[in-house]
Amino acid sequence: MAKKVKVLVNHLCKSFGDLKVIEDCNFHINEGEFVCVVGPTGCGKTTFLNMLSNLLEPTSGEVLIDGQKVNPKKHNISFIFQEPSSFPWLTVEKNIEYGLKAKHKDKQYISEQTEKILTLMDLTRYRNTYPAGLSASSEQKIVIGRAFAMNPDLLLMDEPYGQMDIKTRFYLEDEVIRIWKELKKTIVFITHNIEEAVYLAERVLILSNKPAKVKDEIVIDLPHPRDVNDPEFIRIRKYITDQIKWW
Amino acid sequence: MDTDFCRKEIMPMEGRNKLEIKKLSKVFINNDSFEVAIENVSLDVKENEFLVLLGPGACGKSVLLNIVSGLLKPTSGEVYIDEKLSQGVNSQIGFVFQNLGVMPWLSVRDNVAFPDKLHKVPKKKRYERAQKYIDLVGLNGFEKHYPRQLSGGMKQRVGIARAYASIPEILLMDEPFGQLDAQTRYSMQDEILKIWNQNKKTVIFVTNNIEEAVYLGDRIILFSARPMTVKGVYDLNDLKRPRDYTDSRFLDIRKEISNHTDLVIK
Amino acid sequence: MNAMMKNSRVYKILLNILPVISILLFASLWQLASKNGGIIPTPLDVYRRAGRLLVKPVNNISLTGHIWASMKRVLLGLLAGCVVGIPFGLLIGWNQKCCDYLKPLFELVRPIPALAWIPLMTLWFGIGETSKTALIFTGTVMPVVINTYTGVRLIPQINIDVASVFGATEFQTIKEVVIPCSLSAIMAGVKTAMGTAWIIVLAAEMISANSGLGFMIIRGSDVADLPLVIFAMIIIGVIGAVLSWILTFAERKLCPWKVEIN
Repeated sequence: MAKKVKVLVNHLCKSFGDLKVIEDCNFHINEGEFVCVVGPTGCGKTTFLNMLSNLLEPTSGEVLIDGQKVNPKKHNISFIFQEPSSFPWLTVEKNIEYGLKAKHKDKQYISEQTEKILTLMDLTRYRNTYPAGLSASSEQKIVIGRAFAMNPDLLLMDEPYGQMDIKTRFYLEDEVIRIWKELKKTIVFITHNIEEAVYLAERVLILSNKPAKVKDEIVIDLPHPRDVNDPEFIRIRKYITDQIKWW
Repeated sequence: MDTDFCRKEIMPMEGRNKLEIKKLSKVFINNDSFEVAIENVSLDVKENEFLVLLGPGACGKSVLLNIVSGLLKPTSGEVYIDEKLSQGVNSQIGFVFQNLGVMPWLSVRDNVAFPDKLHKVPKKKRYERAQKYIDLVGLNGFEKHYPRQLSGGMKQRVGIARAYASIPEILLMDEPFGQLDAQTRYSMQDEILKIWNQNKKTVIFVTNNIEEAVYLGDRIILFSARPMTVKGVYDLNDLKRPRDYTDSRFLDIRKEISNHTDLVIK
Repeated sequence: MNAMMKNSRVYKILLNILPVISILLFASLWQLASKNGGIIPTPLDVYRRAGRLLVKPVNNISLTGHIWASMKRVLLGLLAGCVVGIPFGLLIGWNQKCCDYLKPLFELVRPIPALAWIPLMTLWFGIGETSKTALIFTGTVMPVVINTYTGVRLIPQINIDVASVFGATEFQTIKEVVIPCSLSAIMAGVKTAMGTAWIIVLAAEMISANSGLGFMIIRGSDVADLPLVIFAMIIIGVIGAVLSWILTFAERKLCPWKVEIN
């Protein structure tokens, strides 16, 4: 089955003054694909993601979504940060509605979409609770739910589980896979954690050290949910670790 | 739950006990309610072993560590160090907090010399001593830097150097690598083992990261969620060092502990 | 594109010239306005009056003499405010019992504006220098106490725990942790107090003094010498800005670990 290209990146470069952060990145992401981006600490992964969402302008090169230059007004891009970023002054339900309201969708659509997400994320019983009253993992679920509610063309996740303990992390990883399968969105997920990348991704992009280039690419053809003890899993994890190991 | 690695009761160990915790409980009282944080915990720590306390987030491991260090008083139960009852802050104990514990208004050198300053050691001597530990953690060249100029991993090393500088006999480490990214954590885990090997001490290391626990510990004590009790003890002394995260035995132990751990999800 | 511009030397030179340009622009607008009004003196008038001042000083005190007279009162009042305010702020910030006893009283006194103290101060200290310093003190002590108190309250518990765990006594904790950590908040209080002190000194001088910049304004106003009034106002503005700059510089030196959010 031929896959349609959703995101195309050509000769992407980014410098801050004299400091070259990203150099000549070329890659593509197919529609509905789950791609993880890994690289050594400090290689510029967040800058990379910021350019995909057009939060930053490239110094040269281009980022195309559906064949057109990335434009936050035209393209529906959701971004999930590292820190839990739900609005503390809104209930869970209002948080999830927030993006839809901001884009002026009609009431009917908003309420249907919110219901769908609340059910999908298993947050229905907390719809009227404030984020402060929930655990960190539930707070992250609100943020993820809010992002998915927007029905994004592209979902960018910047190490959203970095601060969580390991069991919460495994739980949220399973959650995001489940929702991805259900809603079939295109996802780019950045992480330092190689095991996480191998657990989640269909394809892993490996960045080099600064200035960052796409050093290598690995396709992972294992079924979800994956087994971290599986020899193939271990082989891929070792391969990627060797590519970026600096410690 | 009978396996190679897990024992429900604590078997008497070879070697001297550096620290003993007997029937410790801690109850927090709020205005009209109370919360049992720790319930009847007993454990022993052998001299110079690297003991890991593992449990889900916010289960009470930090509370236990604070009680051992003297920052908190237990509701009931006792702590014995070298078979003597320990009450209040003890100079034999060094504490490594998460990297926020480094004082932002002091340079690296002043941070590491801080315990000595409290003990009124003259400036020249305490800077000499501080330099020794700054070198030990691999931060020479950064003596005059301020914490805000350092990365997370480097700040953590300052905390470790500072704790070592107080020449403790027991080193308590409270999720010291919790704020660091996965790769820096791997690097710091190797660092702390290297430092510990060069300068053997009794270490009690708290974490909620199972992989980290299996990588570091001679023994792991697994705790439940609140009210915290001991769920099991894992003896890893026959897992050779340096350990390999992808070794099949390592992964088996990790899986077993993971199945045994409480999941705290709301 | 923008990033490249920002680093160019042209931009840097522009950054230095812009303040001068804006001042000149203001002066030209002023000139235009005064020509049409007839009441407001022109910048040129003010400039000439300033020149005359050097030859014929007001009340036989030179310009620098007046400046110093005002500054001296400010500095004394500020010093008094700090000497009393900082320890008091530390006390109620650190010790919960003291806070419970003393803070309510402080909160009652705080809203009273400095100028409302004038009758009492005049009664107690007369119309000389002491009463002016006392008046300034009422204005400076408040922000210093509040900021010091807040600074202590905002110290992260972990820093205090670190000191305890390494065996610090209460005194050592206050000396080694509480004071350095709250220094930046204390400096903010001092800066605010400086501004308040400057306002009060001028009011005090306008009421009863025979030296100082506030006095110059009153003198000028009494004889409808507007250029003198405006000149005094300009000097006041300049001195205020310089004092503020000095304090910011001092803060940067005392707290080198703080990072400004750009």
